[in-house]
Amino acid sequence: MKKKIKRSWAEPYKMKMVELLKMTTPSQRKKALDEAGYNTFLLRSEDVYIDLLTDSGTSAMSDRQWAGMMLGDEAYAGSRNFYHLEETIQSIYGYKYVIPTHQGRGAENILSHILIKKGDIIPGNMYFTTTRLHQELAGGKFEDIIIDEAHDPENEHPFKGNVDLDKLDKLIKKYGANKIPYVSIATSVNMAGGQPISMQNLRELRTLTRKHNIRIIHDMTRVAENAYFIQQRENGYENKKVKEIIKEICSLTDGATMSAKKDALVNIGGFLAVNDWDVFEEARNLVVVYEGLHTYGGLAGRDMEAMAIGIHESVSDDHIRARVGQVIYLGEQMIHYGVPIVKPIGGHGIFVDAKKFLPHLPQDSFPAQTLAA
Amino acid sequence: MNTIIEPFKIKSVEPIFFTTKEERIAILRKANYNPFLIPAKDVLIDLLTDSGTSAMSSDQWAGIMKGDESYAGSESFFRFEETIKNITGMPIVIPTHQGRAAEKILFNIIGGKGKFIVSNTLFDTTRANIEFSGAEGIDLLCEEGKHPCVPAAFKGNMDVEAFKKFIREKGAGNIPLCILTITNNSGGGQPVSMQNVKEVKQVCMENNIPLFLDACRFAENSYFIKLREEGYANRSVEEIAQELFSYADGCTMSAKKDAFANIGGFLAMQDEQLAKKCRNLLIITEGFPTYGGLAGRDLEAISIGLKEVMMEDYLRYRIRSIEYLTNKLMAAGVPVMQPAGGHAAYIDAKEFLPHIPVEQYPGQALVAALYVEGGIRSVEIGSLMFGKYDGEGKLIPAQMELVRLAIPRRVYTQSHIDYVAEVIIETFKKRKEIKGLQIIEEAEILRHFTVQLKESNDEVPSCPECLFIKQFV
Repeated sequence: MKKKIKRSWAEPYKMKMVELLKMTTPSQRKKALDEAGYNTFLLRSEDVYIDLLTDSGTSAMSDRQWAGMMLGDEAYAGSRNFYHLEETIQSIYGYKYVIPTHQGRGAENILSHILIKKGDIIPGNMYFTTTRLHQELAGGKFEDIIIDEAHDPENEHPFKGNVDLDKLDKLIKKYGANKIPYVSIATSVNMAGGQPISMQNLRELRTLTRKHNIRIIHDMTRVAENAYFIQQRENGYENKKVKEIIKEICSLTDGATMSAKKDALVNIGGFLAVNDWDVFEEARNLVVVYEGLHTYGGLAGRDMEAMAIGIHESVSDDHIRARVGQVIYLGEQMIHYGVPIVKPIGGHGIFVDAKKFLPHLPQDSFPAQTLAA
Repeated sequence: MNTIIEPFKIKSVEPIFFTTKEERIAILRKANYNPFLIPAKDVLIDLLTDSGTSAMSSDQWAGIMKGDESYAGSESFFRFEETIKNITGMPIVIPTHQGRAAEKILFNIIGGKGKFIVSNTLFDTTRANIEFSGAEGIDLLCEEGKHPCVPAAFKGNMDVEAFKKFIREKGAGNIPLCILTITNNSGGGQPVSMQNVKEVKQVCMENNIPLFLDACRFAENSYFIKLREEGYANRSVEEIAQELFSYADGCTMSAKKDAFANIGGFLAMQDEQLAKKCRNLLIITEGFPTYGGLAGRDLEAISIGLKEVMMEDYLRYRIRSIEYLTNKLMAAGVPVMQPAGGHAAYIDAKEFLPHIPVEQYPGQALVAALYVEGGIRSVEIGSLMFGKYDGEGKLIPAQMELVRLAIPRRVYTQSHIDYVAEVIIETFKKRKEIKGLQIIEEAEILRHFTVQLKESNDEVPSCPECLFIKQFV
């Protein structure tokens, strides 16, 4: 008999507006895939039934966010929505200075320009494509300091996003702390399968970096998901609110880049937040060149409003429980049917282990891409 | 019927708030005489820019609701692409989050030290992006364009002879691009004639220099051609625009102007090799090539806006309403740029405030005075925006000292505009009381966005925000 997978939660919202989908037949899909050269990025979205390409920018906004869209103050300078966003980030995340950017990579670009000098080393808990690229373009070199368990899809370590402090210590000894402008820490590490970092690990990292006067820059795009895992898995946090945990995470870091297209439930937008006045000052001058004036950063006023509201909504326990719950529900079903996936189940997606799924395919015939097709 | 009315009605309104003169004086001091630092809620009529400040149509809002937010292959992108291909005739369309991002990508690729980018007049962010790449931006505006009060039909034209001379001096090999700003924003929103575009293209072709258009206000420019240039009276604006683009190898566009969008822009071009390089940079700073850092809904709004802007009823109303303000000011003796431009009325601040030397930024002083008098926010386009310092730190002033009153598209009613005219005329009567300004702090590039000033015989204000820009001198 099949084991029933239990759902002990339901979404704290209902659908208010729907988008119609086109149904296709296998032969139509075969044709579409041919035309796209077997590259899922090149498929027309019209030909996709369920689109799980990314969780970035693809959220459904709430009615309140849509109402916020109508409250957009599109003034070029000093828009009300900017002040609302600034205040929200300061109160929810606790960072002092805020610069909006059109998306996360805009913030990474500016930050890398300011903090990284040629020849610098940027340790981080696993790379992410755009983040590493910006670090390299600014003349830095990325060094992976994530724990070894993160590289093993089968390993059920509860915090596979943790930093191996020994690895960092070795880097500091090898290159000297002055070659390391900051440690780049992602919460809910995407490339590792949406795996969280523990508060304990972050605290130890803070102690080590403080000793060497190294900044921690927080890639906080999925911080709420990470906070939820801390609440579920880490001792001493079971009775804390996700909101409190998020604030504690941020308080252990010196600044952050955020793609609001994930946790903050918007279709476009991001920001750079720092506690350091000098960095802020430089960022404010640079943002004008790349993004837009510092009170809009390349976003429409309405998008800043939607982001401010989305941030408030994203830190509620009910929301995040349903969010991660849905992912875990799908993951458990897959495990139940014997589909090989990365464990433990992450916060924003299921990562299928394609090598195990298609063991008859050698790696040079791209088993993962084959499975996606 | 002489009255030209709006070819639309108001569907949704946004309240604006009144302040007293005393309040405005305090607000302006707090913002250190920089209109970019005044909170929008403290501005009654916001003429800072026509960029991103348009009222979208109900059709555009419907498009906003229709936005396909797929990361790749969004349907909204395909509609966007098709509209732009149709107008520009260019096979490659690359969305960007706004115009300056398109410029940034373009100049990153073709700019660099020792190179010259030649133009009729480059706008502030365009120039900044060129200079940021190490190249030098060269303005070769026709002579009539340099005199605000002398009317002429196409004051945005490039000086073709000067262009040829420049090529002879520097060598075509050092000029990777010629870019025409249509209409010419820094020069008073003045149009470029089709004839001039053709002649510039001819010179470019002979010297193997690609020609791009900075096409933010292409529809306004096309409409001026229809009104003023021989042989175009019976052509549609769309046809004129298509002809304009047919002479170009590519264009950059901020969709925040003539596409009525609040955000967005694009690059379009003929050359696939160049496009490849552009897309590589695009992914780093903007986003995947089918969204370029925009939400799907924004692509949708731009695509609809680009079609709406070419409607002649709209353009007639648009150009006429700028003319209306300009004429009112002229009738009261206020020195304005003539003839009226396409998107803004420009006051000649040097004439308006002859007692203030350029070193005390008469344009900015007038901007401050208009805010205090009536809560109107305008922008200086003069030595504060474009001035530089020589080796001894002495100001090299800009060609003109203008104050731009940019009229957001489809936003303000005739009564708002009448009020603006009244405030300016009142200020004109009291012009002798207006004091010059001096800089306290400024940034190295694009200083006008964040500069801090004070009245030239004031104490330095002790405001915490003053700390945020690198100390000048």
